[in-house]
Amino acid sequence: MIKEVDLFGVFVPPLLLYAALAGLIWQPLRILLERTGFYRLVWHPALFNVSAYVLTLAAVVAVLM
Amino acid sequence: MSIAARSFRVLLTLVVFAAALAGGWYVWRAYADTPWTRDGRVRANVIQVTPDVSGAATDLNVQDNQTVKKGDVLFVIDQARYKLALDQAEATVDGRFGELQQRRKEAERRDKLTSAAVADEAREQARTAVVTAEAAWRQAIVERDVAKLNFDRTVVRSPVNGYVTNLLLNEGDYATAGKAAVAVVDSDSFYVAGYFEETKLRAIREGDPATARLMGHDGDLTGHVESVARAIVDRDNVTSADLIANVNPSFTWVRLAQRIPVRIRLDPLPAGVTLAAGMTATVVVHPKAR
Repeated sequence: MIKEVDLFGVFVPPLLLYAALAGLIWQPLRILLERTGFYRLVWHPALFNVSAYVLTLAAVVAVLM
Repeated sequence: MSIAARSFRVLLTLVVFAAALAGGWYVWRAYADTPWTRDGRVRANVIQVTPDVSGAATDLNVQDNQTVKKGDVLFVIDQARYKLALDQAEATVDGRFGELQQRRKEAERRDKLTSAAVADEAREQARTAVVTAEAAWRQAIVERDVAKLNFDRTVVRSPVNGYVTNLLLNEGDYATAGKAAVAVVDSDSFYVAGYFEETKLRAIREGDPATARLMGHDGDLTGHVESVARAIVDRDNVTSADLIANVNPSFTWVRLAQRIPVRIRLDPLPAGVTLAAGMTATVVVHPKAR
């Protein structure tokens, strides 16, 4: 499913939609990981967060595109 | 914290980071290599209907955006002058025919007379006069046919099935021969042109299935790749007036892929979709397994 996204008359590339979707999926996951104390196992939380977000995005693109 | 636990923390983060690098690369390749483009246009042949003879447009038979069939009359050019020309040409034909008959009779008469009564030369002249008169008569016939053709061409017809578009001609406007007066969009010629980056072209082959999504429409139009353009303008070497190369001396550090038109032939349209040449479309080619 590749198509333009219509944002109130402004047509943007679909990657923007995928990025937003990945964000929506990753945020609750991150909160869940924080609650369970997973971050004690993480060396560099910021780097881990960015990496995990990019992986989520890759998963979204793999499924939708 | 033990060394082992600390090492595990570093290792886990680095593994996730490495996976993210691979994932990011995959996303970019998937996005950039898939043969699709947002730069697509609906196109159609637009015929510039041009009168063959000049004159004021007297009868305008069509309205703006009207559907026309091949052969339908679009407008008629003032016929008075062409009718007169035709009458004149017909009169000339009659005159020349009379002249020819006269010359034939003269030649026959001279042929019957003996050599004592009429000189050989006079007989010869009479025969030549017949040939000349016949040539003049045939010339008059051709001129009459041309006048007839001009008269017929005062009725301007649509050369295709299609739609009159952007009609600017009014009754009474002077239509000049050779100057386009009415644009007709050929309804049988609609296609979609996808302007694909040259980097994506290697994934596209003629015959591949393709879909086009019109801006503001939900459904996909289906079709297939009909052909790929074989030339675009070389912007760095614009032809000079004196036939020598004119290469642009400045070359950009950053450059982008150029775009090549790919022609998509559409399947029959789903109900409720009306195409207008110039509409924007997102085109996706689905390469067959190769």
